[in-house]
Amino acid sequence: MLVAEFEVTRRAFTVRMDIQVEPGERLAVLGPSGAGKTTFLEAVAGLVPLTAGEIRLDQRQLSSAARPQSDVPVGRRGVGLLRQNPGLFPHLTVLENICYPAGASAETATAAAARMGLHGLLQTRPQGLSGGEAQRVALCRTLQTTVRLLCLDEPFSSLDRPLGLELLGVLGEELRSRGMAALLVTHQLQEAQAFADRVAVLAKGSVLQVGGPRELVLRPKTAVVASLVGYRGWLRRGEQLLAIHPDRIWPAGSAATAGALSGRVVGMKPDGARIDVELESLGDWLGRFHCSFEEPPALGSEHSFRAEAAPVFAGSAAVFD
Amino acid sequence: MRASTGAALAGALIVWVALLGPLVVLLAHLTPGSVVSALRQPGAFQPLEVSVLASLIALGVILLLGTPLAYLMARGRLPFPRLWEVGVILPLLTPPLVIGLLLIFMVGPATPIGEALSHLNLSASDTFFALVIAEIYESVPYYVLGAAAAFAAVDPELEQAGALLGDGRWRTWRRVTLPLSAPGLSMALAVTWARAMGAFGAVLIIAYHPFGLPMQIWTTLQETGLSSALPFALVLLVVALPLPIGAYFWSSRARRRI
Repeated sequence: MLVAEFEVTRRAFTVRMDIQVEPGERLAVLGPSGAGKTTFLEAVAGLVPLTAGEIRLDQRQLSSAARPQSDVPVGRRGVGLLRQNPGLFPHLTVLENICYPAGASAETATAAAARMGLHGLLQTRPQGLSGGEAQRVALCRTLQTTVRLLCLDEPFSSLDRPLGLELLGVLGEELRSRGMAALLVTHQLQEAQAFADRVAVLAKGSVLQVGGPRELVLRPKTAVVASLVGYRGWLRRGEQLLAIHPDRIWPAGSAATAGALSGRVVGMKPDGARIDVELESLGDWLGRFHCSFEEPPALGSEHSFRAEAAPVFAGSAAVFD
Repeated sequence: MRASTGAALAGALIVWVALLGPLVVLLAHLTPGSVVSALRQPGAFQPLEVSVLASLIALGVILLLGTPLAYLMARGRLPFPRLWEVGVILPLLTPPLVIGLLLIFMVGPATPIGEALSHLNLSASDTFFALVIAEIYESVPYYVLGAAAAFAAVDPELEQAGALLGDGRWRTWRRVTLPLSAPGLSMALAVTWARAMGAFGAVLIIAYHPFGLPMQIWTTLQETGLSSALPFALVLLVVALPLPIGAYFWSSRARRRI
């Protein structure tokens, strides 16, 4: 469906993408701030020109660096974009905002608004809406268009986590019912996992790995990917780097397999109902790692652990530069 | 109330009274009889007609040519943006009399532009056409700068949102940019109208004839004295001011809504 093989040169670096999205698929692009995620979406939406390569949607060429004059204009690409700033028109009411796209009728807009829980707000101006309501209106408005692919630029990241995930669920239902494909860029792993069929990890403008949400956590190809999918403990042995995921390490004796470690408690802090304990590694592997405990252990006490299939990377800390 | 607040309030009151003073004095020196008798003189309304017509044409030209310029300036789409700004500000900084003199050298009968105009049966010296030109030069910066500020205040992401929802550039401009910048544009237009109606310095040099209202006031003052000129001053104010004042109140209300 979407074939995006292109480069866009930004001030600090060049964003290089080679991504394909299948019909109805949801792909998340996960990366830290400044990785080039927004540039990627803006290029797909036609807001920035390409410096190399091309973008095709359903066999139709949308953008091409070789022939930029024939790029399909923003509103005719069949691509919608929802941003963190909902971009509601302040001079229009909620209903008028939802009816903005050509062809949207008041009846369908009202029905869509009711589905999204906006029924009592149709005559309200955007200034009178909460952040969550404004994003619902923006989503409802975008869905009035005939887009084939919806690009989501961290649309719910300014909302509190439960509300953001709830709206992501609402959005997921809408996409499913329409068979619409979607691209979500986010720096939150949880959001990417909750939403996407596949996740592409992006750093400094380059795709480091593409895979299923679980596959990325289980088998990160590089230390940078590992750090982006939640690995927080880094232990060294010579030129080797062992990555520890706090959710994938257990006290020894559990059903977990392989990767025995031992460590001395050097610090701890509450983490919800449990205790996040920081440990100094003992033995061959040097460094510190974290493990979640039910009860606070004594400072300085020593424990054994099993880290399930903890990945080992060759090289040094240079991978984080 | 603290003493400093009281002093600031008193200072503000003095400035307000001083600004309104000339209007109060004008009204105090006029009797209904003197206004009626001045306006009943043969040809008394002609300067008003000339001024209104010339200002409307000037406003139309400024609107047509100044709006795209202001928009491009606001969106930073012009090469060498500072150079464009200087070009717009220059007529504002140049004394109107000097503008008039320079216009003679630019579009006067003995210049290439003047000669080209003569082929079109136009002359930019002591004609209605010259009056329109003088009014444009004196008032155009007020519109372009005001309109550029109004456009700059519109979030470009809203324009992108319009485009993403299927609108072309012109349709987005009409449905998003224009309504959101309308309060600022109307203020800029109203101030421009007042400046065009009251244009005098450049007009005196290149468009002494036909008489618009400012020239009528000036010649009446020279020929028959202050009391005869005052009724025309009142007419000028009555015609020139309602639009800016109305625009100010509408714009304040509209800004609160968006």
